[in-house]
Amino acid sequence: MSQAPAQGPGLARSDARSSRVALAVWLAGLLACVFVISRTPFSADLSAFLPSAPTPAQQILVEQLRDGVVSRMLLVGVEGSDQAAVAATSKKMAATLRSDPLFAAVNNGEEAGLTPDREFFWKNRYLLSPGAEMPNHFTSIGIREALDDDIELLGSPAGALIRQILPSDPTGELVRMIDALEGGARPNSAEGVWFSRDGRRALLMAQTRAAGYDIDAQEVAQAHIRAAFSGAQSSAQSSTQSGAPSGAQPVAQPAAQSLVLTGPGVFAATTRASIKGDAWRLSMIATILVALLMLALYRSPRVLVLAFLPVGSGALAGIAAVSLLHGAVHGITLGFGVTLIGEGVDYAIYLFTQIPPGGNARDTLKRLWPTLRLGVLTSVCGFSALLFSGFPGLAQLGLFSIIGLIAAAAVTRYVLPALLPEKFAARSVEHLAPSILRVVDRFTLLRIPFYVLTAAALGWLIHLGGPPWSDELSSLSPVPKREQQLDEQLRRDIGAPDVRYLIVASSPDAQGALEAAESLAAPLARLVEAGALEGYDSPAQVLPSLAVQKRRQAALPDAATLAAALKQGQEGTPFKAGTFDPFLKDVEAARTQPLLTRESMQGGALALKVDGLLIKRAAGPANQNNGWATLLPLRGVQKPEAIEAALAAQAKADGKQAVLLDIKRDADRMFSSYRREAESHTLLGALAITILLFISMRSARRVLDVLAPLAAAVLVTTCILALSGAQLTIFHLVGLSLVVAVGSNYSLFFEKVSAAATSRERTIISLLFANVAMAIAFGLLGSSSVPVLAAIGNTVAIGAVLSLVFSAILARR
Amino acid sequence: MRRNNKALPLDALRVTSRATLRVTLLSALLGAACVFAPAYAADAPAKAEAAGPLLQQVMQGMAQVKSSRARFVERKYLSIVNTPLEYTGGLAYTAPDRLEKNTQTPKAESMLLEGDKLTLVNAKKQARVVMLSQYPLVRAFTESIRSVLAGDLTTLNRYYKVSAEGSAAEWKLLLVPSEPTMQGVVKEIRFTGAAHSIKTIEITEKQGDRSVMTITEAGA
Repeated sequence: MSQAPAQGPGLARSDARSSRVALAVWLAGLLACVFVISRTPFSADLSAFLPSAPTPAQQILVEQLRDGVVSRMLLVGVEGSDQAAVAATSKKMAATLRSDPLFAAVNNGEEAGLTPDREFFWKNRYLLSPGAEMPNHFTSIGIREALDDDIELLGSPAGALIRQILPSDPTGELVRMIDALEGGARPNSAEGVWFSRDGRRALLMAQTRAAGYDIDAQEVAQAHIRAAFSGAQSSAQSSTQSGAPSGAQPVAQPAAQSLVLTGPGVFAATTRASIKGDAWRLSMIATILVALLMLALYRSPRVLVLAFLPVGSGALAGIAAVSLLHGAVHGITLGFGVTLIGEGVDYAIYLFTQIPPGGNARDTLKRLWPTLRLGVLTSVCGFSALLFSGFPGLAQLGLFSIIGLIAAAAVTRYVLPALLPEKFAARSVEHLAPSILRVVDRFTLLRIPFYVLTAAALGWLIHLGGPPWSDELSSLSPVPKREQQLDEQLRRDIGAPDVRYLIVASSPDAQGALEAAESLAAPLARLVEAGALEGYDSPAQVLPSLAVQKRRQAALPDAATLAAALKQGQEGTPFKAGTFDPFLKDVEAARTQPLLTRESMQGGALALKVDGLLIKRAAGPANQNNGWATLLPLRGVQKPEAIEAALAAQAKADGKQAVLLDIKRDADRMFSSYRREAESHTLLGALAITILLFISMRSARRVLDVLAPLAAAVLVTTCILALSGAQLTIFHLVGLSLVVAVGSNYSLFFEKVSAAATSRERTIISLLFANVAMAIAFGLLGSSSVPVLAAIGNTVAIGAVLSLVFSAILARR
Repeated sequence: MRRNNKALPLDALRVTSRATLRVTLLSALLGAACVFAPAYAADAPAKAEAAGPLLQQVMQGMAQVKSSRARFVERKYLSIVNTPLEYTGGLAYTAPDRLEKNTQTPKAESMLLEGDKLTLVNAKKQARVVMLSQYPLVRAFTESIRSVLAGDLTTLNRYYKVSAEGSAAEWKLLLVPSEPTMQGVVKEIRFTGAAHSIKTIEITEKQGDRSVMTITEAGA
C-alpha cells in the first residue's frame, strides 16, 4: 500500500486509499466466503421446514415424518390389461428388488422370501402364543377340548393344512397367534400377487433402508425400482417370443405395461426436483430480465456487471454465514437467493440512477447513505423475526437475508464508488423523468380512493375475524393433487396403514416400552369390543417382553405332567396313541429355550415390523427419561376421545406413559402454534422497526409518514391474497414481513424526498426501477410450483408494488 | 380355558392387519404344513388327453343341471386316527357357481361358496368371509367339486390334469393337481358319478391320508 503524502489534495488521496482498503477487504471477504461455501454441505431435507418440536408427542411426530417406517415405504403399481403378464412382471421385479441391498423388504403378495419369519413363528410358538397363559390350557380337560375342536377343523376346507401341523400343535397355538393378529382388510390378489380391486394394477410394497428424509438415497432407490421394472419387461418379452406357452394359458402378447410409483420418498424427490428446478430456472430468468432492464437504463455493460456486485457478494456472504451457523445450507435458502436479487439490486439502482450528470458517485452516496442505511436497518429488523423461527429452514432464510443485505449495502457503499467509471451518469433517466414524474405526482389525487380501499380492506378483515389462516399441514404440500390421489388409491388397495392414529408408549428401556405396550392389550381389547376402533398393531405381538415370555415359559408343564394330561385327554378320541409325541417334545424344548430378543429375528418382515414399531428415540431435552417407545398404529378409529380417556385411566392405574397421537390433528396443531409464534415475532419485528425509526427520525409525524403506506400495503395485500382464494400459511406471513422490509426503503426515500427536494426526480425514478426489479424477481418466484416459494413470491410482489404506489399517494409535497 | 374356537383354520388364514405380516402368517401356516409334507417329485402320468370325448360328454351332462340337493357322508382316513372321522350333512348347488355345504355332525357348521367368496360359519355361529383368490390351496380344493358340478372344464383344467373313463352313464374322473401348492399336499382326486350326478369324491393326499365323500340324493 502506498504511503499517502502529507500534503496535496488530501481528501482525494485518502479517498483513494480507503477505496483500496475497501477493495482489499472485499476481495478477502469474497475469498473467505468461497472457501467456506466450498466446504458446505447442501441439503434438500424438507424436514428443515418441520418445526424443531417442543413436546414429546410432537417430537415423535417429527421423527416419524422424517425417519419412520412409513416414510421409508414406497408403493409400486404395475398396470396393464393382461393380468398374467402384469403378475409376471410383479414377480420378477420383486425378485430383483429382494436381492437389492437398498431395500429392507419387498412385498408383492408372494410367499417368497419369508422362510425366516415362518420358522420364527413356528419354532417359538409357545413363547409367542398367549395360549400358555390361559388357565387349564395344558391340563387333560384343556387338551380334550382342543382335540374336539381339532376334529371339527379337520372337516373344514383347510383340514389338509391343519392335519399337517396337528401332531406338533394340537392345542392350536399357531392358529391362536394368527387370530391375535387378525383384523383389517387384505389386499386383493390374483395370480399369486397383490392386485388392485379392478384387477388392472399389480401392487408391490418396498421399504427402503435409507430414511425418508435422505432424498438422495430415495432417488436412487426409485431409480432401482424403475430399472427392475424395465428389466422385468424386457425379459418378459424375450421369453414370450422364444418359449412355448405352457399348459392351457393363452399365448400372452407383450401388452404395454406401465409403472406407477408413490410414497413419501417419491414426494420428497419430486419436491426437491421442482425446488431445484424452480430455484435455478427462476433465478436465471430473474437475472436476465433485471439485466435487460439495467442495460436499457444505464447503457453500459460495465455498470451492468457492477450492479450485480452487491447482490452477488451478499449472496455469498449469506450462504457462508448460514453454513457457519447451521452447518449446512438448505436448497430453499438458495432458492431464496432470488429475493436478494430483488432487494440487493435495489441498492445499486438507487446509487446509479441518482448520480446526476457531472456529479460523482461519492457525493451521491453521501447524500443517499443515511436513508439507505436506515432502509437496511429496517429490513434487518423485519427479517430478524425469521431468525427466531422454530422452523430451522426459516431461521436460515432470515440469517441469509440479514447478512446478505448488510453485505450488499456495504459493497454498495464502499466498493462500487471505486469501480464506477468516472463521470458515469444514468443519462437515459433524463428522457423518462418528466413524463414519469407527471404520473407520479398525480398519484396524490388518489388519496380518497386509497383511504376507502384501506378502510374496506381493514373492515373486511375484521369482518372475517382476522386473515383466513390455514394451519393444515397438507396445504403446504408441494405434491400435485393428482399424485396425492394416486397415493391414496394405492394405499387403500394395498391396505397400507393410513397412519393417522398411533399410540405411543414410552419407557427408559426397550423392555419397559414393550411391557407398556402389553399393558395396553386389555384396555384396547375392551375398546375394540366397544367399537371405538377396529384393531391395532403392536410389536409385542411378535416380540413379547421378556417378562411375558418368562411367564409363558413358566406356565409350560414338565414332560411327565404333560404326557399324563395328554394321555388322559386323548382317551376316547379317535387319535392314535403316539400321534402327539412331537407336541410333547416341542413343549419340553420350549421350557428351556432361550428367550426371544430382537437379535433372534434374522431379518424378514417380522424384524422389520419390530424395528419400525419399537424405536430408540433420539436424545433430546424432552425425552431424557423415555429413551424407548413402542408405536401402536390403530386401524378404523371411530372414537378417538374414548381411546384417549382409556389411556389416561390406564396411565393413572399403572403409571406407564402412553399417549394417542392423531397425526393430522397434532401436525396441524403444531403448525398452528408455530404460525402464531411467527405472528408474534413479526409483530415484534414491526415494533423494532417503529422504535428504530423513532430513534433516527425523532418525529412521530415522520415515522407515521413512513409507516402508513407500509401498513396499508400489508393490509391490502392480505386482502388480495384472501380474495384470490389462497389459504394463508406461515409462508405468506413471512412474505408480509418481507413486504415491510422492502417497502420501508420506498417510503423512507419518499419521505426523504419530501423533506429535501433536491434531485427529487432521480430519487423517485430510482425507486420505480428498483420496484420493477423487485416485482420481476418476486413475481417469478410466485409462479413456482413449490408452495413455499410461490407464497412468498406472490405476497412480496403484490406488497412491494402496493408499498411504492401507496408511498407515492401519501407523499407530502 | 377353552381353545379359542372362533378360529376356523380358514379364519386362521385370513390373517391379520398389515399386509406384510398377513402374508407372513399365512405362509407360516402353509410353511409349517410343508415342514411335515415334503413335496414328492413324482408327477402323475400324463394320459389326460386320451379321454377327451368322454370327458366332454360327462361335463356337458353335468352342465345341464341347474340346481341339485343331496346328502353327504364324508369319512377321513388319517394316519393319526384309529377310526375314520365321520362328517355328515347336506349339499346344495345352484348353477353356475353357488355351492353350500352344511355339516350337521359331529358339529354344525356351514360353508357357502359364491363366486370368489367363501362364507364360513362355525359351530358357534361365528361367520367369516374369505376371498378364494387369496388362498390358492383352498381354491383348488373347492374348485374341484364346484367345477365338476358346473361342468366347467376350463376352470378344472386350470388346476388339474383331468381324465375320464367308463361311460356317460357310469363315469369316473381322475384329477391330478397341476398347481404347485396343491401338488405339495394332494396326490389325486377321484370322482365317480352316474349320468348327471356325482356319487363319490375321494381325495388322496401325498402321505396317504384319504377322505371319501359319498353323496346320495336328498330325500332318498
